[in-house]
Amino acid sequence: MIDLTFYVIFAIALYMVGMYCLATKRNMLRLILGIEILINAANINFITFAAYAMPGFVDPMGNSFVCISIGLAGAVSAVALVIVVLAYRHYGTLDVTELRRLRG
Amino acid sequence: MFTLPLDLLLIFTVVSPVIGWVTPKLYRPRLAGVFAAIALAVTGIALYSLYLNVSSNGAIYLPSNSLVAAHLKVDMLSIFMASIFLGLGLAATVYSIIYVEKSTRTPIYYTLILTMISGMIGIVFSGDLFTLFVFWELMSISTYALVSFFRERWASIEAGFKFLIMSAAGSATALFGISLLYGMTGTLSFEGLAAAFGSASPNAWLYIAALFIFVGFGVKTAVVPLHTWLPDAYSSAPAPVSAMLSGIVIGPGIYVIARTFFSVFISIQAQWLPIIAVLSLITMFIGNITALLQTDLKRMLAYSSIAQVGYMLVGLAVGTQTGLTGTFLQFFNHALMKGAAFLCAGAIIYRLGARELPEMVGVGRKMPVTAIVFSISLFALIGMPPFNGFISELTLFTSTFQVNLAWLGIALILNSAISSAYYLRIVRTLMQIPVSEKVEKVKEVPLLMLVPLCVLAVSIIVFGIWPDPLVNFAHQAARALLSFTFVFGR
Repeated sequence: MIDLTFYVIFAIALYMVGMYCLATKRNMLRLILGIEILINAANINFITFAAYAMPGFVDPMGNSFVCISIGLAGAVSAVALVIVVLAYRHYGTLDVTELRRLRG
Repeated sequence: MFTLPLDLLLIFTVVSPVIGWVTPKLYRPRLAGVFAAIALAVTGIALYSLYLNVSSNGAIYLPSNSLVAAHLKVDMLSIFMASIFLGLGLAATVYSIIYVEKSTRTPIYYTLILTMISGMIGIVFSGDLFTLFVFWELMSISTYALVSFFRERWASIEAGFKFLIMSAAGSATALFGISLLYGMTGTLSFEGLAAAFGSASPNAWLYIAALFIFVGFGVKTAVVPLHTWLPDAYSSAPAPVSAMLSGIVIGPGIYVIARTFFSVFISIQAQWLPIIAVLSLITMFIGNITALLQTDLKRMLAYSSIAQVGYMLVGLAVGTQTGLTGTFLQFFNHALMKGAAFLCAGAIIYRLGARELPEMVGVGRKMPVTAIVFSISLFALIGMPPFNGFISELTLFTSTFQVNLAWLGIALILNSAISSAYYLRIVRTLMQIPVSEKVEKVKEVPLLMLVPLCVLAVSIIVFGIWPDPLVNFAHQAARALLSFTFVFGR
């Protein structure tokens, strides 16, 4: 079997990709995809750790976590897409740099 | 299934869209709000019976036959947090009955509020980190929708999107940290994690997991480098929602950080206590100093919320029972004070239609009750003696001297002084003689909006003059938090 460390390194790399996407992309839809990538990085971790819990045995708890977490991610993106549609109607663009009227 | 109060609230939440669909057809549009208020009141009664049970029998585990595999765990801290969620939630709901009356989407508004409150109560009742995460997402998703509730205004959309991206990235980060904890131990219940890490020597992954969890849950708590969503979201949400966001939605974040860091990460306590101390110092200074520069009333209150989060972190940085009592007291009192302040700001904006401070000169003379309640809440936020803010800030201040963190206590006093500058500016603006004709025409808000304001003001005074029951309650909550830390060294 492949060593556990590689999977964890892959998940951390995926997390970095998601954060890079959130930091640099300007399209609102791409930002939502960035969030999805972040959640999937965590999901991969859960699946891996469930598979490596004991030799020859997969922990069902980790897999059930992933099922629920995928559902939650879907709900978050649904709300996010609603807001994107509303923003598109207001601004006529998906460019997030146009949404800079408020200063945090 | 999830203990009586939470079950009731979830059932009411599921029923509320039906009620909201029926009531406009019966020409009783206010009935949806009345239903939501009754739901919260009934849940409050159920919570009281649960309180009696927990205070006599100790913490409740569900399913009851297994201690380690519990997915729900209700102890004194859970009851303490849930009571304030329901209390301020009820006040804000009663206030909303008039406030959102003219909107066409009132049914969904009350459903979202009930969802948010049931999510928060679920968070504090959770016994393992994944149950907690599911309820966390329930709360988060409904707050995203509530912040952008006025969807015809660009500010709401913009603030909602910014809030959503930051907060969802925070949740994903927290989930990543949770997955690392699961990988290290194979369990996620707080007892199991505390038992696995309590005595073992810490390895590098534990530090990484602690970092991920602090950052992830810290976004909703608005610890300073992660606070940028907060002023936009609070100032563009409807006023009752701002009151709830500021008063109680920061609570789950504080709760999760306290719960995980005082059980799971107790073995690396020496490392994270100074970090939280520094973060709390930065948080209160940045919050107070930026609040000084604002002219928009709701943005000013939003920045002062950041400063108050800094005060709450002081207690966590101290880490003793007194310090944690101070944190929970400050959270409870902040919910009352800031809830009242945001509702009053909402009442003024509702009548005046303007939110810039210079346009509000003299409005307090036209709306005397609102102005009096507003002043009481602002004096309490400064920390003046007859009001409840004084009690919690005093507790936090004394706790810092127990553990050689006196510099943090002095910073707390200094920040109270800085904050009085902008709070008193609001009071002065309200009390001046009106100059504009717009202000001359303003009337007092309807009675149904004044009732929650007066109730909050009375409880601010009562808990200030007679704080013993509240302090005892917070003390029990802090003891419940510390009771299962096996190696409590300080």
